[in-house]
Amino acid sequence: MRIKKRLDWFIMMNNIFLILVAAVCVLPMIHILAISLSSSAIAATGTVTFWPKEFSLTSYEFVAQRKAFWDSMLISLQRIALGGAINVLLATTIAYPLSKEKKDFSLRAFYAWAFFITMIFGAGLIPTYMLVKELGLIDSVWALILPGAVPVFSVIVLLNFFRQTPKELSESAFMDGAGHWRTLWSIYIPISMPAIATILLFSLVGHWNSWFDGLIYMNNPSNYPLQSYMQTVVVQKSFTTLTPEEAKVMAKISDKTLKSAQIFLGALPIICAYPFLQKYFVKGMVLGSVKG
Amino acid sequence: MIELNIKKLKRELPLNLMILPGFIFIILFSYVPMAGIIIAFQRFIPAKRLFGDQQWVGFKNFKYVMSLPNFDNILWNTFYIASLKVILGLVVPIVIALLLNEMKHVLLKRSIQTAIYLPHFLSWVVLGGIFIDILSPTNGLVNTLLNKLGLNSIFFLGDNKWFPYTMILTDTWKDFGYGTIIYLAALTGINPNLYEAAQMDGANRWKQTIHISLPGIQMVIVLLMVLSLGNLLNAGFDQIFNMYSPMVYESGDILDTFVYRIGLLDAQFGVATAVGLFKSVIALILVSTSYYFAYKFADYRIF
Amino acid sequence: MKNNQPSSKAILLLISLMLTTGFISACSSNSPEKQTNTPTQSPANNSSTGNNEPKEAVSGDADPFGKYETPLTIRFTRDVDNDTQDNIIPKTPGETIENNRWLKAFSEKLGINVVYDWTVSTGDAYTQKMNVTLTSGDLPDMLRVTPAQMKQLAEADLIEDLTPYWEQYASDDLKELYAEQGPAVLNSAEVNGKIMGIGKADVYGDGVYLWIRKDWLDKLNLPEPTSLQDVLKISEAFTTQDPDGNKVNDTYGLALTKDLYGGAMGLEGFFAGYHAYPNMWIDDGSGNLVWGSTLPEVKESLKALSEMYKAGQLDKEFGVKDGGKVAESIAAGKIGIDFGAQWNPMYPLISNYQNDPNANWVGYSLVSVDGKPALSPQRFQADSYWVVRKGFSNPEGLIKMFNLHVELNWGKTGDFDYYYMPAANDSVGVWKYSPVQPASAFKNIRAFQEIEEARKNNSFDSLTGEALAIYRNIKAFEEGDASQWGWPKIYGAEGVYRHGVNYMDNERFMYEKFAGPPTETMAERKSTLEALEKETFVKIIMGAAPLDDFDKFVDNWYKVGGTDITKEVNEWYATTK
Repeated sequence: MRIKKRLDWFIMMNNIFLILVAAVCVLPMIHILAISLSSSAIAATGTVTFWPKEFSLTSYEFVAQRKAFWDSMLISLQRIALGGAINVLLATTIAYPLSKEKKDFSLRAFYAWAFFITMIFGAGLIPTYMLVKELGLIDSVWALILPGAVPVFSVIVLLNFFRQTPKELSESAFMDGAGHWRTLWSIYIPISMPAIATILLFSLVGHWNSWFDGLIYMNNPSNYPLQSYMQTVVVQKSFTTLTPEEAKVMAKISDKTLKSAQIFLGALPIICAYPFLQKYFVKGMVLGSVKG
Repeated sequence: MIELNIKKLKRELPLNLMILPGFIFIILFSYVPMAGIIIAFQRFIPAKRLFGDQQWVGFKNFKYVMSLPNFDNILWNTFYIASLKVILGLVVPIVIALLLNEMKHVLLKRSIQTAIYLPHFLSWVVLGGIFIDILSPTNGLVNTLLNKLGLNSIFFLGDNKWFPYTMILTDTWKDFGYGTIIYLAALTGINPNLYEAAQMDGANRWKQTIHISLPGIQMVIVLLMVLSLGNLLNAGFDQIFNMYSPMVYESGDILDTFVYRIGLLDAQFGVATAVGLFKSVIALILVSTSYYFAYKFADYRIF
Repeated sequence: MKNNQPSSKAILLLISLMLTTGFISACSSNSPEKQTNTPTQSPANNSSTGNNEPKEAVSGDADPFGKYETPLTIRFTRDVDNDTQDNIIPKTPGETIENNRWLKAFSEKLGINVVYDWTVSTGDAYTQKMNVTLTSGDLPDMLRVTPAQMKQLAEADLIEDLTPYWEQYASDDLKELYAEQGPAVLNSAEVNGKIMGIGKADVYGDGVYLWIRKDWLDKLNLPEPTSLQDVLKISEAFTTQDPDGNKVNDTYGLALTKDLYGGAMGLEGFFAGYHAYPNMWIDDGSGNLVWGSTLPEVKESLKALSEMYKAGQLDKEFGVKDGGKVAESIAAGKIGIDFGAQWNPMYPLISNYQNDPNANWVGYSLVSVDGKPALSPQRFQADSYWVVRKGFSNPEGLIKMFNLHVELNWGKTGDFDYYYMPAANDSVGVWKYSPVQPASAFKNIRAFQEIEEARKNNSFDSLTGEALAIYRNIKAFEEGDASQWGWPKIYGAEGVYRHGVNYMDNERFMYEKFAGPPTETMAERKSTLEALEKETFVKIIMGAAPLDDFDKFVDNWYKVGGTDITKEVNEWYATTK
């Protein structure tokens, strides 16, 4: 316990500073929330700032009835569950061997570069699409998961964390007759929980936010994940020749309250993931220090 | 010798098996489609299919892009904006992570962490409209503030002098919170005993930061520094596309927006692939070089 | 160290082998498929039953509405817009994209079963998806493609020449529809003299108008504009005389965006007042095509605009604002003049009315500086064409479907109130259920004429079809449904189509003369030239560049590729004469 009697100026200034920084980051989200709770006529004038004007819940009522929104959210949840699990599984099983010294794993350098190169050179839309199609993955949630199953950035982060694991721990495990799998499971993973929580978060966020693959690999819009669906809502259409009916639609898609309600609801689940994962940052430290 | 090798092979077999599934995945989903890079050397017409009767043009796509008027300017804009984004994208999250680490109030600390992570989830399409309002020279929040301080209004999005910095700062704002996560994870790995020992020795907060916290996350810093060099030609398409205008083409047009506009009229896959390949090669050179230097001088392998 | 060198080399070799085999197997798996794509056969998974039948005779007894005895299955692709998703499907219980009244009509009346290979949202996503579909080689039977894609497909000999089928099978009504705005509408799909696709019939649109806040005019005692000078005066008064009466100098004259051009908040109508036609190819009077933006009349208009900017009549920040952003200013009641199409009251003008019931936007015809009537600029904006996969057994099926779409909506045997905008379904546009949607460019103006006739004779009972549907909307507004405010603004007694009729009867249209797919240099340079043009024009208007930079722009424009494009465009023009 570090109790200080004198007023700690640094702590205070630091707190104030960080609170200000946090405020600047929260304001746009509050702005969007305020618009979503205003009447659409007043929102169209762009004068709503951080507090709703002409309070109204119609946009949320509309979204609530909008089946496509909820269906696509279910698909997104399915996607992050499967995608996150596969990403983390592959990242650990790749990072562990790569964290070994060359004397223990002669092909280390070859593998490391093989993985690294894919981070820099992308194959591009057309060949990847053809592969996914040949594999029969079109219209399946696997088309959104398998092409990015190996998160190379996370692998590199994780292998660096693994390397920090005290040698004595794994050596003593080997003495006890544990194999690589067992060592990974009972020593490396518990000690690296903060890092694993981090890469899990990265992959959840990545999967949640991607939209282009959904548009391309799904032949039926009812299979869209949420962000692909959102793309059809948020994107501003260009002003070319329209019929009066189309212009009416235009008025509708320009409805800012509706857009904002969907933006807000669409970001909510993934934002909630973070506070939940935060606890592993602390837990990992305790575990690490107890064992060490 | 041979016996030794077999023994070695046997010993390493589990490691090879462990890495095998991941390796198969990248062969299948990364290396096989990489054959499509040939598109960069073709006058690619989708209707004629990937390995169909496409016309080979050698380096014509590369030459075409480089021959376009303003190419030098665009390349410079890309590099300038991207490199400043990379630098700020490294420094700001480290500083904020260190400051957060000093925070003792757990609930407040967690709330702030969550708050600064929010902007990452707003797309540039949405933020573009918000920033036009906030940065408006006539009645925007920022300029009102500047005026109160006795400064002149600045047309952040319409002035070539300011546009690149506006892009850099808003981008940093959007992603620094997300960027701190990895440093926070690294900071939790530092043994708390070290701090206590330092306090016993009378080290103040600054000294603790320099001698314990920073060295503790040094590995992550070097790692992200090297990897981010791969982004020196990625100036951020989504952001610039949603915030630029004809007034600031001069200072804000970048490779990716440029390629996008070319592709609008005619699906010029050859040109787009060529530009992508060019960017990848530069990135590979930069990252490999820094990888080599980190290894040679700091004896540290990034991967 | 030395020990493992050979092994890693071996692995490298293995990898490169794997890569090449992957490469080769991809190649080889392609080639047999490719053979099946020849005209006589179609891909194995094609469910078309008409394949082995002889092609229905192109000569002789061609019936535009002939029904296939054995049902013919045709594979299409489909894009779905927000209107369909949010309005049409919810308002038509039991109907879906795959199963609805239109597909039923095609099946019952023509013996054609429509199936969709894939469905995607409208816009960029459709084009991207079409590109990957083209690359994968598994073409649907009928595809809606961009002009550039059509040209590529035609040159790769992958689509059918539709010329004979059009001549044989197009119904008289359909032919008339496509001739309404000149032969270019149909001929624009010609590649090497053959019609390779069918585009939209209403591709030119039906006019640019001048929208003004009449309540502000009345308040400031200003007359309705009859010349561009009047418009300039109105713009000045709207800026300086506080038309919204809030005692703050916060209003502008004219609406404009960073894109300069557009169907709403565009400048085309303003330019037309100086007889300038930027952003389109026009005849220079001697039979040659020239890019309108490079002509001296444009400079004159820019001069006027830069003076307006200087006098505070334009939003100081228009240079960074897109249409959505400027629409906010309109909604907030800051702007009093808008050049745009007839649909502007539907969006964005209605948002002004919703916040201020006094806002009374009225449409006028374009006015000019010199008394010579301003022509309404009509750009050729074909964004897509329907084409038929080479080797498909019955290309005429496409034409028949076009025929039926026109017939069921506007023909003698048609039922507009069931197939177009049925009152029973809240007048949503169910016509969008049909994959092909040809429509007349002037049908709206004609509907206005019918309503106008009924208004004169008080014979609203005799209204039918589209006119009736529209009249019901006008009536709904009069009975208090504020969301229908736009309809009387377009079709009412003071509606903008008063001037549309004048445009149509007196041919006050300036049609863009180049209507072909993008030429070689255009594909390479157009984006660069567009950027150059917009950058120069915006800067001149804002006073960030002197007016004489316009001359530099013209020189540059020709130097950077304009010369070649002009040449190519004129070559195309020569072939159409």
